Amino acid sequence: MRKGRDDTPWLLALVRERWRSVNKPTTKMEWADLIAAIALREDQKAYRQLFDFFAPRIKGYLIRTGSSRAEAEEIAQDALIAVWRKADKFDPGTTGAAAWIFTISRNLRIDAVRRGRRSDQMLKEIEAEYVPETSESLDAAIVQGQDALRVDAALSGLSAEQSEVIRLSFIEQRPHAEIAALLGIPLGTVKSRIRLAMNRLRDLLDDIK
Amino acid sequence: MTIVHHPTDELLGSFAAGNLDQATQLVIAAHVSMCPCCQRLVSAFEQLGGTLLEAVDPVGLAPDAFDAAMWRIERQFEGRPGSARSRSGDDARLPRVLDYYDIGPVRWVAPGVSLRPIVLPGGGRARAFLLKSAPGTRMLEHTHTDTELTCVLEGSFSHQGGHFGPGDFDLGDEAVDHQPVVGPDGPCLCLVAMTGKLRINGLLGRLIEPFIRL
Repeated sequence: MRKGRDDTPWLLALVRERWRSVNKPTTKMEWADLIAAIALREDQKAYRQLFDFFAPRIKGYLIRTGSSRAEAEEIAQDALIAVWRKADKFDPGTTGAAAWIFTISRNLRIDAVRRGRRSDQMLKEIEAEYVPETSESLDAAIVQGQDALRVDAALSGLSAEQSEVIRLSFIEQRPHAEIAALLGIPLGTVKSRIRLAMNRLRDLLDDIK
Repeated sequence: MTIVHHPTDELLGSFAAGNLDQATQLVIAAHVSMCPCCQRLVSAFEQLGGTLLEAVDPVGLAPDAFDAAMWRIERQFEGRPGSARSRSGDDARLPRVLDYYDIGPVRWVAPGVSLRPIVLPGGGRARAFLLKSAPGTRMLEHTHTDTELTCVLEGSFSHQGGHFGPGDFDLGDEAVDHQPVVGPDGPCLCLVAMTGKLRINGLLGRLIEPFIRL
């Protein structure tokens, strides 16, 4: 695929610049180690690193999905408190650290929406979005661990332009037409980029079995 | 249990991103909890969510946010966890995704067909309910004004779109004109999320539509 053919150069530059601005202080493996350090010895220094990296990003993610700044601040803090409390439940064999923190934040956001944005309640126990009912699910969890690594590898293979489209569609749930307008690219390009990423994800899962 | 019918990738993606209304989310959750292959896809989407989260532009928190968090952790400010309902009898077989919801009383909607509403504290456009139909029930041919998402919990039904057994997911919308028939193997219990209304086809349908309270 010829990258960015239909993008204006300034936009491309902007997207690339934004992508580079993600200066991760540690690698993913280390995120898992930091969570383990909290679980094993209540390591505040490790926690601080996680907090400093993830809390502002959770806040950014929530603002993008329609939360007010105050609510985003509150949920980001709640999410990091949940990271501390649930650190011993994190299983690096089945899920990536960032994905785990994403699901915690997502569940708190759903919960906040359902509470009708009442802020008088304390941190609620975060429940999983679904509870596997099948015995096959145990095997599935192991497979998911393998998937996590592959998904990660595949995603890092996506171009910045593709990732941007996926982010707008998946995280921000913007309609395809809006994404096209926002990025100044044709609707067909938005759709094909999303389809491509979906297919990539599907292929990835299909060839493990 | 062989699950044949699954939600679309788009629905599973929205589920993983947490962007569905409560009723829809509940039906997808019921399906996913019974379907290892959709669990896999959802967890792949969550992985995607994690990667995207790492790449989101950060927005700074209040300067004392970390200290405030530590303060709360040290004082063990626990929330009040939602309490799971303990269910007995036939209800004990309901999927655990329903554990945190109240279920309303049984209401008959048509001969052999009863409904129990799921109480959704968050409200939203869609309603959720358990629909139980006697074996062999023939539903009237109908169309939906909006969408209807169904996850079979027990028993089975068939319509032009195929045969649907436990765990199977079905989506009806205004494009689908169908007449489900419940399998002879036992009552069919479904978890349904519905927006809009049913439109029953034919003269008979128009005559009895006012009496069907769905």
